[in-house]
Amino acid sequence: MELFTKSSAVRTFYEGVNILKTIRRYTGLYKAFLFQNLKEDMIYRSNFITLVVMDIAFVSISVVLFKIIFGHVNSIAGWTFHQSVILIGTVGIVREMAYLTFRRGFLELGNHIRTGTFDTFMVRPILPNIHLAFRHISLSESLGECIMGVILVVYGFMHLNTWSLLSIPLYVLFLINSLMVYYGFSLLINSIVFWVIKSQELNTIVYFFMETSRYPGDIFRGVGKILFTFIIPIGIIATAPASILTGRMGWKFAAISIIVGVSFLSTGLYVWKKSIEHYSSASG
Amino acid sequence: MPISIQVKNLRKTFDYFKKEPGLAGSFKSLFWREKLYNEALKGISFEIQEGELVGFLGPNGAGKTTTLKILSGILYPTGGEAVVIGHVPWKREPAYQKQFAIVMGQKNQLWWDLPAQESFTLNKEIYEIDTRVYKNNLDELIELFDIKELIDVPVRKLSMGQRMKCELAAALLHSPKVLFLDEPTIGLDIISQEKIRKYIEGYNRLKKTTVLLTSHYMRDVERLCKRVIVINNGVIIYDGLVEDLMNRYADYKTIRLRFSREYNENGLEKYGNVVERDGLNVVIKASKEDIAKHTAKILSEFPVEDLSVEDVEIEDVISKIFTG
Amino acid sequence: MKKYITLFHINWQNSLQYRFSLVIYIGGYSLYIGVLLYLWSAIYHEGQSVGNYTLQQLTTYYLLQLMINSIIFSYISWDVIDNIKNGLFSNFLTKPLDYYLYWFTINLSGKMLEALFVIIAAGGISFFVSDYIFFPEHLITLIYFIIAVGLGIVLAFEMDFCIGMITFWLTQVRTFKYMLQTLILFFAGAMLPLDLFPAYLAKIAEILPFRYLIFFPASIYLGKIDNPWLSFLLLIFWIIIFYVISRILLARGIKRYEAVGA
Repeated sequence: MELFTKSSAVRTFYEGVNILKTIRRYTGLYKAFLFQNLKEDMIYRSNFITLVVMDIAFVSISVVLFKIIFGHVNSIAGWTFHQSVILIGTVGIVREMAYLTFRRGFLELGNHIRTGTFDTFMVRPILPNIHLAFRHISLSESLGECIMGVILVVYGFMHLNTWSLLSIPLYVLFLINSLMVYYGFSLLINSIVFWVIKSQELNTIVYFFMETSRYPGDIFRGVGKILFTFIIPIGIIATAPASILTGRMGWKFAAISIIVGVSFLSTGLYVWKKSIEHYSSASG
Repeated sequence: MPISIQVKNLRKTFDYFKKEPGLAGSFKSLFWREKLYNEALKGISFEIQEGELVGFLGPNGAGKTTTLKILSGILYPTGGEAVVIGHVPWKREPAYQKQFAIVMGQKNQLWWDLPAQESFTLNKEIYEIDTRVYKNNLDELIELFDIKELIDVPVRKLSMGQRMKCELAAALLHSPKVLFLDEPTIGLDIISQEKIRKYIEGYNRLKKTTVLLTSHYMRDVERLCKRVIVINNGVIIYDGLVEDLMNRYADYKTIRLRFSREYNENGLEKYGNVVERDGLNVVIKASKEDIAKHTAKILSEFPVEDLSVEDVEIEDVISKIFTG
Repeated sequence: MKKYITLFHINWQNSLQYRFSLVIYIGGYSLYIGVLLYLWSAIYHEGQSVGNYTLQQLTTYYLLQLMINSIIFSYISWDVIDNIKNGLFSNFLTKPLDYYLYWFTINLSGKMLEALFVIIAAGGISFFVSDYIFFPEHLITLIYFIIAVGLGIVLAFEMDFCIGMITFWLTQVRTFKYMLQTLILFFAGAMLPLDLFPAYLAKIAEILPFRYLIFFPASIYLGKIDNPWLSFLLLIFWIIIFYVISRILLARGIKRYEAVGA
């Protein structure tokens, strides 16, 4: 009995060391790739400024729209204007987090497959999905939206008195959870590329997914509530983190959000892995 | 010598959809498409020893690239076995991936807008190469491939030949035990082709790396390899010494001639078979051994306006293998 | 004329190849409209209302927006930009094809196909929200609506063509176009009906020609405009104006293209 516990303890120890090693390896890789991507970005500096300005303009239009709606109503499904502003800002922040990790990789996936360069990702000793993501880290693509996002979140937050010590770390936690939902959803959608069509238009769906997530999840009722929480979880992306800052978060919604986050990420990774196996058995 | 690559009865079938012509066809295919199959590999077997440099020769679509893709784990075979340095490639184990490299002639693996040096640094991280080993390997490759001046220039500014050298260097930084080269000289001018061949040969001799190289140029294989495997329509039709292949099936070259005026038609026959005659243009197949002597004679005896000597095309060799 | 009919056919066939991206785009856009419908229904169920719109009218407005947006809005300027940038434009200079009519035909044939798909999508959504769909009482309203959509297709094409022409002068045209497009959508009433805008914004929208692209036809359908003839005249006026601008830009553009070279 004692022997058993010992060996299992040893095994757990080694697994722990392995996980630490893996984490260290991938952080190292991330840093290396980040620098290369930044260098590449620098070459197109003029593009950088237009991107930021355009982003700010787009977010402003969203704010104007909310402003107009709130000219007619006091609240949307219980959300006031200042609370809604936090929703808009949160989408911007999640988007930038995604561009700093995986988003642009998926936008380039169609090209990689069409030209055959995706093969490169299959022969390297890194997971293909991570390699794809790191190869295309982008700081500038959504930077303007992120800057606006932070401003909006801070602005909205200042006008509320829902402040508590836990707000900020919990907000960050739910931001990460939303990123997991976003990544899982992207993996699921982009896995289709390996089965039917080599089309990058698939990411149009992901775009609309994020565009519509700036409305509070509370607007959905009935079938819509289930659909937009569990299947197309746009009711979580911005609503869950923003609920923390606006003091609207309940235990039930918090638990559901985390469950959706974890299950989307794991299903996404699983389906992606199966799809790559299919790609390697079917495509030329 | 131990065996490095072992392939047994390897098969690969692709399926694809039939494209129907016309507007009605496009509309119909909205709802229903006919599935078609293409047998790319029909059960091929071969073995390659450690340190060998083997050429994989065949026309486009013969199954060369498919084989390389299976051996590097990109494709999963429909049937059969393959073991490369003790690993089944399509399991895609990192332990295997760290010990081989694949370079594809027309697919750029380097970062387009950055100097090749940057891609090298990334490969160091990706393959977890020890810093000291990396430095040694890099120095060695820079010297061997003569790329000292090239690695600080953005890749997009390099010529095709220069880029291929950098591609090769990037792939070799982790000292792979097996190297797959898919059409490494495609699209290059003759001088660059020759250089690339020289580097590949040099590297193989220096490092004893197993190299499997595909090509549809006879010249690549003739110049580099001792042994050649010829594949056509997914079947291996020849596996043996290059020398034997050349002696038996490719012992001639093609001379294309254009004359400036009328000439004596009968005098040409003694230099080779006249296979085509069209006014002042003539094509002759001439024995390889005396090619220099014969062309010199033709030049002095006939009113030649233009002359070129061409290698045998792989298609000719294949049809010759079939016809005996 | 015959060559343009042939062109129409060929482009249909060509567009069918992109049916998948079309379905995806319309699917995504339907998702967007669906969410907006939930938004309004939540607001109305809280006992609030917006302007002089009933929930039924708003729902219908957004479904119309979904259809009109696909049927009217032209996106050929993306192709025009590519065409000019990569030098394929040179081919046109050597052919007996009118560049303006060429793209007009391409646009029209693409729009017809898109209309087919989007009507299916809108039909699907309205099945779920059938209680909230408004149908006009008089046949004449529907006829007015169809006239407005027809004229809208022409006007939208001309505007888009003009944007494409900018490529002759501006290299960073894609970013510029993106901004312009968002602005046009905003003032066309794609996101909100224009009469819900605050007074000063509504005034601007009133003067600009973009309102004819979405807000105008949708308002006709909803029975908010009894006598649209004056507006039709104004719309035709804008069509003529933009036709003249298109022609001038094309002529000047060709001159510039020939001078600068590709």
